[in-house]
Amino acid sequence: MLHDFTSSALFGLALSLLFYLFGVWLNKKIKTPLVNPLLVAVVLVLSILSIFDIPMEDFMSGGSIIAAFLTPATVALALSIYNQRKTLKAYFFPVVLGCFAGSVTSMGSIYLMCRLFKLDETLTMTLLPKSVTTPIAMSISEGLGGIPSVTVAMVVGTGILGALICPILIQLFEVKDPVAQGVATGTCSHAIGTSKVMELGELQGAMSSIAIGIAGLLTSFIALFL
Amino acid sequence: MKIVKQLAILLLLCFISEIISKLLPFTFPSGVIGMLLLLLLLLTKIIPVNAVEDVCTFLTKNLSLFFLPATVQIVEQFDVIKEHLLPIIIIIMVSTMLTFGVTALTVTLCMKAQNRIRGKKNAA
Repeated sequence: MLHDFTSSALFGLALSLLFYLFGVWLNKKIKTPLVNPLLVAVVLVLSILSIFDIPMEDFMSGGSIIAAFLTPATVALALSIYNQRKTLKAYFFPVVLGCFAGSVTSMGSIYLMCRLFKLDETLTMTLLPKSVTTPIAMSISEGLGGIPSVTVAMVVGTGILGALICPILIQLFEVKDPVAQGVATGTCSHAIGTSKVMELGELQGAMSSIAIGIAGLLTSFIALFL
Repeated sequence: MKIVKQLAILLLLCFISEIISKLLPFTFPSGVIGMLLLLLLLLTKIIPVNAVEDVCTFLTKNLSLFFLPATVQIVEQFDVIKEHLLPIIIIIMVSTMLTFGVTALTVTLCMKAQNRIRGKKNAA
Protein backbone atom coordinates (compact mmCIF):
# COMPACT_ATOMS: atom_id res chain seq x y z
CA MET A 1 0.00 0.00 0.00
CA LEU A 2 2.66 2.48 1.13
CA HIS A 3 4.86 1.34 -1.73
CA ASP A 4 2.33 2.65 -4.27
CA PHE A 5 3.12 6.15 -3.08
CA THR A 6 6.81 5.92 -2.24
CA SER A 7 7.74 4.50 -5.65
CA SER A 8 6.75 7.84 -7.20
CA ALA A 9 9.70 10.06 -8.11
CA LEU A 10 8.02 12.87 -6.19
CA PHE A 11 8.54 11.02 -2.90
CA GLY A 12 12.35 10.99 -3.11
CA LEU A 13 12.42 14.55 -4.45
CA ALA A 14 10.21 15.99 -1.72
CA LEU A 15 11.92 14.03 1.04
CA SER A 16 15.39 15.20 -0.06
CA LEU A 17 14.42 18.87 -0.36
CA LEU A 18 12.51 18.91 2.91
CA PHE A 19 15.26 17.34 5.01
CA TYR A 20 17.97 19.39 3.29
CA LEU A 21 16.09 22.58 4.20
CA PHE A 22 15.69 21.33 7.76
CA GLY A 23 19.44 20.59 7.93
CA VAL A 24 20.31 24.09 6.71
CA TRP A 25 17.88 25.60 9.23
CA LEU A 26 19.27 23.53 12.11
CA ASN A 27 22.84 24.44 11.14
CA LYS A 28 21.93 28.14 11.34
CA LYS A 29 20.27 27.65 14.73
CA ILE A 30 23.05 25.59 16.28
CA LYS A 31 26.21 27.16 14.97
CA THR A 32 28.69 24.28 15.00
CA PRO A 33 30.32 22.41 12.10
CA LEU A 34 29.20 19.20 13.83
CA VAL A 35 25.59 19.92 12.81
CA ASN A 36 26.35 19.66 9.09
CA PRO A 37 23.24 20.17 6.87
CA LEU A 38 24.11 17.18 4.67
CA LEU A 39 24.78 14.94 7.68
CA VAL A 40 21.45 15.91 9.28
CA ALA A 41 19.55 15.28 6.03
CA VAL A 42 21.22 11.90 5.41
CA VAL A 43 20.45 10.66 8.93
CA LEU A 44 16.80 11.78 8.64
CA VAL A 45 16.27 10.26 5.17
CA LEU A 46 17.82 6.98 6.31
CA SER A 47 15.64 6.96 9.42
CA ILE A 48 12.46 7.41 7.38
CA LEU A 49 13.50 4.70 4.93
CA SER A 50 14.25 2.27 7.73
CA ILE A 51 11.21 3.06 9.95
CA PHE A 52 8.72 2.64 7.10
CA ASP A 53 10.74 -0.11 5.45
CA ILE A 54 10.95 1.78 2.15
CA PRO A 55 13.35 0.24 -0.40
CA MET A 56 16.32 2.28 -1.65
CA GLU A 57 15.07 1.99 -5.26
CA ASP A 58 11.93 3.90 -4.28
CA PHE A 59 13.93 6.75 -2.80
CA MET A 60 16.35 6.82 -5.71
CA SER A 61 13.63 7.17 -8.35
CA GLY A 62 13.38 10.76 -7.12
CA GLY A 63 16.90 10.95 -5.71
CA SER A 64 18.53 10.26 -9.05
CA ILE A 65 16.89 13.39 -10.47
CA ILE A 66 18.68 15.48 -7.84
CA ALA A 67 21.91 13.53 -8.35
CA ALA A 68 21.80 14.38 -12.07
CA PHE A 69 22.66 17.96 -11.10
CA LEU A 70 26.02 16.98 -9.58
CA THR A 71 27.97 17.54 -12.80
CA PRO A 72 26.31 20.92 -13.51
CA ALA A 73 27.05 21.94 -9.91
CA THR A 74 30.74 21.07 -10.40
CA VAL A 75 30.83 23.06 -13.64
CA ALA A 76 29.19 25.98 -11.82
CA LEU A 77 32.28 26.20 -9.55
CA ALA A 78 33.95 27.90 -12.55
CA LEU A 79 31.95 31.04 -11.73
CA SER A 80 33.37 31.13 -8.18
CA ILE A 81 36.92 30.91 -9.55
CA TYR A 82 36.07 33.56 -12.17
CA ASN A 83 34.68 35.90 -9.52
CA GLN A 84 37.93 35.55 -7.53
CA ARG A 85 40.21 36.08 -10.54
CA LYS A 86 41.68 39.37 -9.23
CA THR A 87 42.68 37.87 -5.88
CA LEU A 88 43.97 34.76 -7.65
CA LYS A 89 46.12 36.89 -9.96
CA ALA A 90 47.67 38.76 -7.03
CA TYR A 91 48.62 35.54 -5.22
CA PHE A 92 48.93 33.14 -8.18
CA PHE A 93 52.16 31.32 -7.28
CA PRO A 94 51.58 31.00 -3.52
CA VAL A 95 48.07 29.64 -4.16
CA VAL A 96 48.88 27.23 -6.98
CA LEU A 97 52.12 25.92 -5.43
CA GLY A 98 50.44 25.65 -2.02
CA CYS A 99 47.47 23.73 -3.42
CA PHE A 100 49.79 21.48 -5.41
CA ALA A 101 51.99 20.67 -2.40
CA GLY A 102 48.88 20.10 -0.28
CA SER A 103 47.16 17.85 -2.82
CA VAL A 104 50.29 15.72 -3.27
CA THR A 105 50.72 15.47 0.52
CA SER A 106 47.07 14.51 0.99
CA MET A 107 47.05 11.77 -1.64
CA GLY A 108 50.57 10.56 -0.81
CA SER A 109 49.94 10.26 2.91
CA ILE A 110 46.60 8.51 2.38
CA TYR A 111 48.17 6.04 -0.04
CA LEU A 112 51.05 5.21 2.31
CA MET A 113 48.77 4.79 5.33
CA CYS A 114 46.37 2.59 3.36
CA ARG A 115 49.33 0.33 2.53
CA LEU A 116 50.43 0.42 6.17
CA PHE A 117 46.96 -0.67 7.39
CA LYS A 118 46.72 -3.18 4.52
CA LEU A 119 43.45 -1.72 3.19
CA ASP A 120 42.37 -3.09 -0.18
CA GLU A 121 42.65 -1.29 -3.52
CA THR A 122 38.95 -0.26 -3.62
CA LEU A 123 39.03 1.37 -0.19
CA THR A 124 42.35 3.10 -0.98
CA MET A 125 40.88 4.65 -4.14
CA THR A 126 37.76 5.60 -2.16
CA LEU A 127 39.85 7.51 0.40
CA LEU A 128 42.41 9.14 -1.95
CA PRO A 129 40.37 12.19 -3.08
CA LYS A 130 38.83 12.87 0.35
CA SER A 131 40.28 16.37 0.82
CA VAL A 132 38.69 17.95 -2.28
CA THR A 133 35.17 19.22 -2.81
CA THR A 134 32.53 16.46 -2.95
CA PRO A 135 31.45 16.49 -6.63
CA ILE A 136 35.07 16.34 -7.82
CA ALA A 137 36.02 13.77 -5.16
CA MET A 138 33.11 11.55 -6.24
CA SER A 139 34.08 11.52 -9.89
CA ILE A 140 37.76 10.93 -9.09
CA SER A 141 36.77 8.05 -6.79
CA GLU A 142 34.55 6.56 -9.48
CA GLY A 143 37.25 6.92 -12.14
CA LEU A 144 39.85 5.18 -9.96
CA GLY A 145 37.51 2.33 -9.03
CA GLY A 146 36.51 3.50 -5.55
CA ILE A 147 33.03 3.62 -3.98
CA PRO A 148 31.62 7.16 -4.56
CA SER A 149 28.99 7.04 -1.76
CA VAL A 150 31.67 6.15 0.80
CA THR A 151 33.93 8.86 -0.61
CA VAL A 152 31.20 11.44 0.10
CA ALA A 153 31.12 10.38 3.74
CA MET A 154 34.93 10.65 3.97
CA VAL A 155 34.85 14.10 2.34
CA VAL A 156 32.19 15.37 4.75
CA GLY A 157 34.04 13.82 7.71
CA THR A 158 37.26 15.53 6.59
CA GLY A 159 35.45 18.85 6.18
CA ILE A 160 33.93 18.73 9.65
CA LEU A 161 37.29 17.73 11.15
CA GLY A 162 38.99 20.57 9.25
CA ALA A 163 36.46 23.13 10.47
CA LEU A 164 37.11 21.97 14.04
CA ILE A 165 40.92 21.71 13.97
CA CYS A 166 42.10 24.26 11.37
CA PRO A 167 41.70 27.21 13.79
CA ILE A 168 43.72 25.20 16.35
CA LEU A 169 46.38 24.24 13.77
CA ILE A 170 46.76 27.91 12.78
CA GLN A 171 47.71 28.66 16.42
CA LEU A 172 49.79 25.52 16.86
CA PHE A 173 51.92 25.91 13.69
CA GLU A 174 51.97 29.71 14.18
CA VAL A 175 50.62 30.38 10.68
CA LYS A 176 50.57 34.18 10.65
CA ASP A 177 50.07 34.88 6.94
CA PRO A 178 46.33 35.27 6.14
CA VAL A 179 46.84 33.88 2.62
CA ALA A 180 48.51 30.77 4.06
CA GLN A 181 45.70 30.37 6.63
CA GLY A 182 43.06 30.47 3.89
CA VAL A 183 44.77 28.29 1.27
CA ALA A 184 45.75 25.63 3.82
CA THR A 185 42.20 25.39 5.17
CA GLY A 186 40.59 25.23 1.72
CA THR A 187 43.07 22.62 0.47
CA CYS A 188 42.66 20.24 3.39
CA SER A 189 38.96 20.70 4.20
CA HIS A 190 37.16 22.29 1.20
CA ALA A 191 33.87 24.19 1.70
CA ILE A 192 33.13 23.10 5.28
CA GLY A 193 36.55 24.32 6.46
CA THR A 194 36.13 27.48 4.38
CA SER A 195 32.93 28.41 6.21
CA LYS A 196 34.93 28.40 9.46
CA VAL A 197 38.09 30.20 8.28
CA MET A 198 35.86 32.99 6.86
CA GLU A 199 35.36 34.05 10.48
CA LEU A 200 39.06 35.01 10.63
CA GLY A 201 38.73 37.55 7.82
CA GLU A 202 37.66 38.29 4.26
CA LEU A 203 41.06 37.50 2.69
CA GLN A 204 41.21 34.14 4.47
CA GLY A 205 37.72 33.28 3.20
CA ALA A 206 38.50 34.31 -0.38
CA MET A 207 41.79 32.36 -0.43
CA SER A 208 40.10 29.31 1.04
CA SER A 209 37.34 29.29 -1.57
CA ILE A 210 39.87 29.70 -4.40
CA ALA A 211 41.81 26.78 -2.94
CA ILE A 212 38.69 24.55 -3.17
CA GLY A 213 38.59 24.89 -6.96
CA ILE A 214 42.35 24.83 -7.56
CA ALA A 215 42.99 21.85 -5.26
CA GLY A 216 40.09 19.97 -6.90
CA LEU A 217 41.52 20.67 -10.32
CA LEU A 218 45.09 19.71 -9.37
CA THR A 219 43.96 16.56 -7.57
CA SER A 220 42.08 15.33 -10.64
CA PHE A 221 45.23 15.93 -12.72
CA ILE A 222 47.42 14.09 -10.19
CA ALA A 223 44.89 11.21 -10.20
CA LEU A 224 45.64 10.75 -13.92
CA PHE A 225 49.06 9.39 -13.00
CA LEU A 226 47.76 6.73 -10.61
CA MET B 1 12.73 32.42 -19.30
CA LYS B 2 16.05 33.75 -18.03
CA ILE B 3 16.59 30.72 -15.80
CA VAL B 4 15.63 28.32 -18.60
CA LYS B 5 18.17 29.97 -20.92
CA GLN B 6 20.92 29.83 -18.30
CA LEU B 7 20.13 26.23 -17.48
CA ALA B 8 20.16 25.34 -21.17
CA ILE B 9 23.64 26.84 -21.61
CA LEU B 10 25.00 25.08 -18.52
CA LEU B 11 23.46 21.69 -19.35
CA LEU B 12 24.67 21.88 -22.94
CA LEU B 13 28.16 22.60 -21.64
CA CYS B 14 27.90 19.58 -19.30
CA PHE B 15 26.76 17.38 -22.17
CA ILE B 16 29.70 18.49 -24.35
CA SER B 17 32.09 17.82 -21.43
CA GLU B 18 30.63 14.35 -21.03
CA ILE B 19 31.32 13.61 -24.70
CA ILE B 20 34.89 14.95 -24.39
CA SER B 21 35.39 12.86 -21.23
CA LYS B 22 34.23 9.70 -23.07
CA LEU B 23 36.54 10.42 -26.03
CA LEU B 24 39.64 10.93 -23.85
CA PRO B 25 41.96 7.91 -23.72
CA PHE B 26 42.22 8.28 -19.90
CA THR B 27 39.64 8.75 -17.12
CA PHE B 28 39.09 12.40 -16.27
CA PRO B 29 35.99 13.75 -14.47
CA SER B 30 33.59 15.39 -16.94
CA GLY B 31 32.63 17.95 -14.28
CA VAL B 32 36.22 19.22 -14.13
CA ILE B 33 36.40 19.39 -17.95
CA GLY B 34 33.19 21.43 -17.90
CA MET B 35 34.56 23.65 -15.14
CA LEU B 36 37.70 24.42 -17.18
CA LEU B 37 35.60 24.96 -20.30
CA LEU B 38 33.22 27.39 -18.59
CA LEU B 39 36.10 29.25 -16.93
CA LEU B 40 37.76 29.63 -20.34
CA LEU B 41 34.52 30.83 -21.96
CA LEU B 42 33.98 33.36 -19.15
CA LEU B 43 37.57 34.66 -19.27
CA THR B 44 37.45 35.09 -23.06
CA LYS B 45 34.00 36.75 -22.65
CA ILE B 46 32.49 34.33 -25.21
CA ILE B 47 29.89 33.62 -22.52
CA PRO B 48 29.03 36.77 -20.52
CA VAL B 49 28.76 36.32 -16.75
CA ASN B 50 25.05 37.23 -16.72
CA ALA B 51 24.28 34.36 -19.12
CA VAL B 52 24.99 31.75 -16.41
CA GLU B 53 25.20 33.74 -13.16
CA ASP B 54 21.88 32.92 -11.47
CA VAL B 55 21.90 29.20 -12.17
CA CYS B 56 25.57 28.83 -11.17
CA THR B 57 25.02 30.74 -7.94
CA PHE B 58 21.98 28.62 -7.11
CA LEU B 59 23.89 25.38 -7.74
CA THR B 60 27.02 26.33 -5.78
CA LYS B 61 25.05 27.81 -2.87
CA ASN B 62 23.13 24.53 -2.46
CA LEU B 63 25.98 22.22 -3.42
CA SER B 64 25.40 19.71 -0.62
CA LEU B 65 21.78 19.09 -1.69
CA PHE B 66 22.98 17.54 -4.94
CA PHE B 67 25.08 14.86 -3.29
CA LEU B 68 22.46 13.97 -0.69
CA PRO B 69 21.04 11.01 -2.70
CA ALA B 70 24.54 9.64 -3.34
CA THR B 71 25.37 9.86 0.35
CA VAL B 72 22.13 8.14 1.36
CA GLN B 73 23.26 5.12 -0.67
CA ILE B 74 26.08 4.69 1.83
CA VAL B 75 23.86 2.32 3.88
CA GLU B 76 24.63 -0.32 1.30
CA GLN B 77 28.34 0.06 2.18
CA PHE B 78 28.12 0.18 5.98
CA ASP B 79 29.84 -3.20 6.41
CA VAL B 80 32.92 -2.03 4.47
CA ILE B 81 33.28 1.02 6.71
CA LYS B 82 32.52 -0.78 9.96
CA GLU B 83 35.21 -3.35 9.28
CA HIS B 84 37.92 -0.70 8.80
CA LEU B 85 36.59 2.12 10.95
CA LEU B 86 39.71 2.69 13.10
CA PRO B 87 42.26 2.84 10.25
CA ILE B 88 39.90 5.12 8.29
CA ILE B 89 39.62 7.56 11.21
CA ILE B 90 43.40 7.57 11.75
CA ILE B 91 44.05 8.11 8.02
CA ILE B 92 41.59 11.02 7.84
CA MET B 93 43.00 12.74 10.94
CA VAL B 94 46.70 12.33 10.10
CA SER B 95 46.39 13.23 6.42
CA THR B 96 44.20 16.27 7.10
CA MET B 97 46.72 17.68 9.59
CA LEU B 98 49.69 16.90 7.31
CA THR B 99 47.96 18.51 4.33
CA PHE B 100 47.23 21.63 6.35
CA GLY B 101 50.83 21.88 7.60
CA VAL B 102 52.50 21.34 4.22
CA THR B 103 50.15 23.75 2.42
CA ALA B 104 50.55 26.47 5.06
CA LEU B 105 54.34 26.12 4.98
CA THR B 106 54.49 26.20 1.15
CA VAL B 107 52.26 29.28 0.92
CA THR B 108 54.19 31.09 3.69
CA LEU B 109 57.52 30.46 1.93
CA CYS B 110 56.10 31.53 -1.46
CA MET B 111 54.61 34.69 0.05
CA LYS B 112 57.99 35.57 1.59
CA ALA B 113 59.74 35.01 -1.76
CA GLN B 114 57.09 37.00 -3.64
CA ASN B 115 57.28 39.91 -1.19
CA ARG B 116 61.08 39.95 -1.45
CA ILE B 117 60.96 40.04 -5.27
CA ARG B 118 58.26 42.73 -5.25
CA GLY B 119 60.19 44.68 -2.61
CA LYS B 120 63.30 44.63 -4.80
CA LYS B 121 61.27 45.79 -7.80
CA ASN B 122 59.84 48.66 -5.80
CA ALA B 123 63.29 49.63 -4.48
CA ALA B 124 64.77 49.62 -7.99
